[in-house]
Amino acid sequence: MEGAELAGKILSTWLTLVLGFILLPSVFGVSLGISEIYMKILVKTLEWATIRIEKGTPKESILKNSASVGIIQRDESPMEKGLSGLRGRDFELSDVFYFSKKGFEAIVEDEVTQRFSSEELVSWNLLTRTNVNFQYISLRLTMVWVLGVIVRYCVLLPLRVTLAFIGISLLVIGTTLVGQLPDSSLKNWLSELVHLTCCRICVRSLSGTIHYHNKQYRPQKGGICVANHTSPIDVLILTTDGCYAMVGQVHGGLMGIIQRAMVKACPHVWFERSEMKDRHLVTKRLKEHIADKKKLPILIFPEGTCINNTSVMMFKKGSFEIGGTIHPVAIKYNPQFGDAFWNSSKYNMVSYLLRMMTSWAIVCDVWYMPAMTREEGEDAVQFANRVKSAIAIQGGLTELPWDGGLKRAKVKDTLKEEQQKNYSKMIVGNGSLS
Amino acid sequence: MGNTQAILSEKDQKDLLQAANFSEADIKKMYKRFVELDTNKNGQLDPQELFNVPEISENPLVKRVISIFDSNSDGKVSFVEFLVGITKLASSTDDFQKKKFAFDIYDLNKDGMISNGELFTVMKMMVGNNLNDVQLQQLVDRTIIQADKDGDGMISFDEFKDVTIIFEIIMLHF
Repeated sequence: MEGAELAGKILSTWLTLVLGFILLPSVFGVSLGISEIYMKILVKTLEWATIRIEKGTPKESILKNSASVGIIQRDESPMEKGLSGLRGRDFELSDVFYFSKKGFEAIVEDEVTQRFSSEELVSWNLLTRTNVNFQYISLRLTMVWVLGVIVRYCVLLPLRVTLAFIGISLLVIGTTLVGQLPDSSLKNWLSELVHLTCCRICVRSLSGTIHYHNKQYRPQKGGICVANHTSPIDVLILTTDGCYAMVGQVHGGLMGIIQRAMVKACPHVWFERSEMKDRHLVTKRLKEHIADKKKLPILIFPEGTCINNTSVMMFKKGSFEIGGTIHPVAIKYNPQFGDAFWNSSKYNMVSYLLRMMTSWAIVCDVWYMPAMTREEGEDAVQFANRVKSAIAIQGGLTELPWDGGLKRAKVKDTLKEEQQKNYSKMIVGNGSLS
Repeated sequence: MGNTQAILSEKDQKDLLQAANFSEADIKKMYKRFVELDTNKNGQLDPQELFNVPEISENPLVKRVISIFDSNSDGKVSFVEFLVGITKLASSTDDFQKKKFAFDIYDLNKDGMISNGELFTVMKMMVGNNLNDVQLQQLVDRTIIQADKDGDGMISFDEFKDVTIIFEIIMLHF
């Protein structure tokens, strides 16, 4: 039938094009510059859109709509200054102002809740999902937006899904094949090749543009790589530039298949769910892994959960107790082209991936940083904080002492007791109470 | 954000906008915050939801602040109460309002007087278990003696006004 033949021809030409322009270059790590052209056009379009929007809205509301300004201006002064006291002065009725003001501030705006939802953009990037405050401006802008929707859903999405499919299948098949070989340097080389190729294909399936800085500090074998966590894509971004041994729980389903295949080709560290609870077991296995200098560096995300890429939260000390050299890496996404944050309470994995594939692109910067080791007299918590500060400064993120686990768990009472203790010390200090 | 219109009636909106000089965009921002805090999405803030925020639950007096927001004392904070509560401490309100806010923190039964027992309860919240009850009672008694001009053993709002100094409170900016 003519229709079927035609469809068949189109499909095969299309596949050959994909093969030629995208898959083959990925094997050699070479880029044909198509994505660069796409990005240039995109940037120009978004700039044009921003100018149109600014012309369209009246001046004052632009200032007011600035997303970075909160509702209130917070007073960060510590308790002593806030109570305008020297130590040991008596209780006064006005003391209640300090606490009620702090309580009030926390109700209106606190540092933690805002980190678990996506960052607001200052100017719209022509995606409906980021459209919070912006109204209809002009016909031309709407036309451009409609064009954008068509391009994203009808052109880019099928292409990306195909690529992702090819990438994952190649990974599973490739690693299983390589896994049949006996252990040798050939096997390692092949396994690296397979990993890198498939990761590059997957990154292209998201239209990812990644800039790696300071490649000389790339994590070495036998070390531990530590990075801030925003989404499962972080893993993809890091493994495109080097091979790592992953650490994580064994999953079922598609993830499980991928995990089992990967571990045949090179030694990743997968734990059963029950084993994860046993911290000693986990530490022991990780220690064994890094002791073998021929094994790939371990990749760990010490925050333990996804944060929205505006801040770095508490690093859990477990990763820093293993010993060995820590190679910090800072990852910062550019939210203008697509929001990479995975809000796991709002979206499951599949809808998250679909959102990723219908954004403009994923653009991010990766900074490799000089290695750090634990110093004399420094305990794991201090070391973790030191690494955390370094990553926050490099990536331009705010540093927060709070535990990312607060996304789901309850807050402990110890925080309140701390405040009460400090306050009591102040009013009792000089022994004015007999 | 059409939901904003559903929560406030026309009259309430007008009264509020007049009183506080809030623009529609301001109200949207605060509604967004309200929704962020309202984790079970029932349109009211229960104290339990607020305590899930670490900066809120670490504050010893936050239960009192919440009950001041809760003007109809139904144990929950609606969006209107939320907005009204924010205006109470906004920098544009006068000193009288601010002192009244602090007074309300102590005045547990909202009868316009701070009794010995009420002062004790609130101070207990601030110091926790770090002072024993005897020491705390001493502090309470001394404070009341210093402030109580008419000798009735309780602190009225007038007496309170005279002994308290205002610090620069919340700076609202939109």
